[in-house]
Amino acid sequence: MSASLTQALPAIARGEWRAMLRNQVAVAAGILMLALTLAAILVSQERLGAVNAERARFQSTADEQWHNQPDRHPHRVVHYGHYVFRPLSPLAFFDFGVDPFTGNTLFLEGHRQNSANFSDAGQSSVLLRFGQLTPAFVLQVLTPLLIVFLAFGSVARERERGQLRLQIVQGIPGATLLLGKLAAHAGVALLLGAPAFIALVAIAAMHPAVALEALTMLAGYALYLLLWVAAAVLVSSSLPRARDALLALVACWIVTAILLPRVMPDFAADDVGRPSRIETEVAIHERLAAIGDSHNPNDPYFNAFRARTLEKYGVQRVEDLPVNYGGLLMAEGERMTSELFDEFMRADFARQRQENAIVHSASLFSPVIALRRMSTALAGTNLDSHARFLVEGERYRYAFVQALNGLHANVVSPQGAGDERIDKAHWDETPRFGYPPAPYAEVAQRHAWPAFAVLGGWLLALCFAGQLIAKRLERKAK
Amino acid sequence: MKTLIIELRQVLHSRLAVGAVLLLAGLAALSVWTGLQAVGQQRAALERIAASHAQDHAAIAAKQLKGGAAEAGSVGYYLPHLTVNPPSALAFVAIGQRDLQPQALRVRLLGLHSQMYESEAINPELAMPGRFDFAFVLVFLAPLFVIALMHDLVTSEREAGRLRLLASLPAGAANTWRRRVGLRFGLLWLAALLPVAVGALAAGAGVAGFGAIALVATLYLAFWFGLASWVAARAHTSSSSAAILLACLVGLTMILPTLADAAIARLAPVSKGVELALAQRQAVHSGWDIPKPETFAKFFQTHPEWKDTAPVEGRFHWKWYYAMHQAGDQAVAQDVAQYRASMQSREDWTARVGLLLASVNVQVLLHRLADTDLAAQLAYQDRIAAYHTELRKFFYPYLFEERPFTQADLARLPRYAVGAAGGELASGQLLALAVLALTLLRAGLRQLRRPA
Repeated sequence: MSASLTQALPAIARGEWRAMLRNQVAVAAGILMLALTLAAILVSQERLGAVNAERARFQSTADEQWHNQPDRHPHRVVHYGHYVFRPLSPLAFFDFGVDPFTGNTLFLEGHRQNSANFSDAGQSSVLLRFGQLTPAFVLQVLTPLLIVFLAFGSVARERERGQLRLQIVQGIPGATLLLGKLAAHAGVALLLGAPAFIALVAIAAMHPAVALEALTMLAGYALYLLLWVAAAVLVSSSLPRARDALLALVACWIVTAILLPRVMPDFAADDVGRPSRIETEVAIHERLAAIGDSHNPNDPYFNAFRARTLEKYGVQRVEDLPVNYGGLLMAEGERMTSELFDEFMRADFARQRQENAIVHSASLFSPVIALRRMSTALAGTNLDSHARFLVEGERYRYAFVQALNGLHANVVSPQGAGDERIDKAHWDETPRFGYPPAPYAEVAQRHAWPAFAVLGGWLLALCFAGQLIAKRLERKAK
Repeated sequence: MKTLIIELRQVLHSRLAVGAVLLLAGLAALSVWTGLQAVGQQRAALERIAASHAQDHAAIAAKQLKGGAAEAGSVGYYLPHLTVNPPSALAFVAIGQRDLQPQALRVRLLGLHSQMYESEAINPELAMPGRFDFAFVLVFLAPLFVIALMHDLVTSEREAGRLRLLASLPAGAANTWRRRVGLRFGLLWLAALLPVAVGALAAGAGVAGFGAIALVATLYLAFWFGLASWVAARAHTSSSSAAILLACLVGLTMILPTLADAAIARLAPVSKGVELALAQRQAVHSGWDIPKPETFAKFFQTHPEWKDTAPVEGRFHWKWYYAMHQAGDQAVAQDVAQYRASMQSREDWTARVGLLLASVNVQVLLHRLADTDLAAQLAYQDRIAAYHTELRKFFYPYLFEERPFTQADLARLPRYAVGAAGGELASGQLLALAVLALTLLRAGLRQLRRPA
């Protein structure tokens, strides 16, 4: 058994490679696919560079504008606001993910929580909806189709020609035969993925911060391609004719790679139902109005706030306060609105994650959904990373607005008319916006391991099916 | 007629053919259903938005006009005005940009360009794969069914040993092939378009709307039947014919459009939007630091009718505040034009790519027809801008003549009028598709006269 395995298996694999090499269409398609992967890597690497350079340029313009402000009243600066831009992780070139669909520009100002604006897709023609030329698109969608084309006849063709029976009768075990074919096509699939894999290794070497992410991605994509190889060879060996195998495999490809990823979002959106931006805005207004109105001299909430403040400073009248009461009032108002913003924002992210969970639940039937989940998570281009940007942006907004309100309370004269200006040196005290990327362990646990479980489970199931099919091959030949 | 029925029976004998026709009908029906569902959701969202806006509007107005009258400037500052962009009757066919763009936007009297580009809170992961609408089924999936029905048109006869016999028939082989292609064309046409007809009826799109979609779909199917006939006539085996046609499909609908997209992204970058936003903020806020007469001088250039009103003295006056916002908008007019031009040039390049690539052309045609493309969004922005101008014109007499704003004035506020949907059949694009499709169909049918 083991002797036949070591001799027969390489022979079968070599035979399959020879057959593929003789097929000129296959060789041409393979070369074309390699070229396409290479083009995708170069194009999207260049694009990532351009995007990051542009965002860095905008960020430094915005920072400069901030620091170059003249002497101003701090509350005017609260309204002047600040812009922050989301940079992309070095791995984003591999899979742009949601980035083209989310705005990357956040305008941060007092009293308001703005949306992230100017998404690529919102400013593009219908072409973007055909997909983007990224290595992820090539490996997720196109390479499996090529694998199907190369492997659909691997066993079925031999059966049609009667060679299969001959080999089995000569004493080659069915399992060895299948393993040989699998090895041959796995080799080709990994060769097709090689440019992308090399790119990932190169990124891991150049950016140690994302090395683990890059290597995990590599493993995920390799597993995914192997899954298609196994499916193609097994379907080829369980259907009587090559044409049937091709049809069945193309049907699998359409359903899993094209159809389910597009249909599931419709169901998810239907199921969860999220309020629109305007509804949320109105709901926040309503809640605020219910708390109190700082402009109303008889408002119970703000009267209590004034009483607390006077007590804290041990004075009787607002005019006797050593600090600017307007600034304190602003700070209190900002605290209340921000709490509400935060609450609504988190509730909405929870709903979006719920929608995504519905889509992910289909990954049992569509491995590409599992792979996409892992890939965008590791590349830092999934909903979580966008949400992180918004949450961190909000945290930053709150901090600098409250710092300005602090200046309003402590630096602006308490008895002024309201148009005093304070020294522009204060603007330099604001820190730059920046946030550390999510730790690998967290991302992997949330998205990569579940995806690996799905892909691994599929591969195990196919292995099991392979054993049954191998036995059937032997039985039928006898 | 009799031969046609015999042919039909023959087609229906093949399980693959029947399955393919039924599956296409099912997919088209599913796409129409999800399209109608999505449009229904958008309409429902608009209703909810209108209701919650009305509530908010009433609350703010009540608070402002508590004492019977209020300063117009304060009313203008706090009171939001709703604009909406409801889906057209044909939007269910091609959802396009509508799931990304805000379909309602509230504006206040402040500078327009700090309010215009607000985005809707979409779930980007749901938007990422693209919609499953009829445009998608037609462009990506329908060709697969053409391939399934056509790839072995000739080779199956050869493999069954009937090809010579067919060629020697007195009626001539040409008619036989034409009839067979026509029959398959008709079956797929019905499968794809019957659900759309039902959907169009349900959505109230009318015969003209359906006719326009049917025209585009017919030409696109003709393109694929032409290509498939040509390949089927030349291929030696069924599998090589299928493989070549599938390669064409992947090339025409996936590889070439994504390459074109990457090229257009380089050719026409759209960073202009951010530049516009940064410039607008700078223009408005520097207004606080420059002497008021300077701001008014800019404002009077476009609004000379208010030149002779009393000059502003003291720290703050609403008319100066709004003149500053208006001057800010004026200062970025150039940037706005550039921003729109950069988006327009993306559209133009896509249309040019469409002249050569039928798949892209059909997407462009259907989205224009459904009024769900970038042009529709730009037109909506134009309507918002026109409405904002109307609002400003309404408020200026109150501000400059210092008239108080009363309950009666509230009722006279201009309301946003929903314009008629601007969907249309782009004739140049349609012509290009027709030329491409009919040329290919003719070449394919000719090739079928003398199969290889």
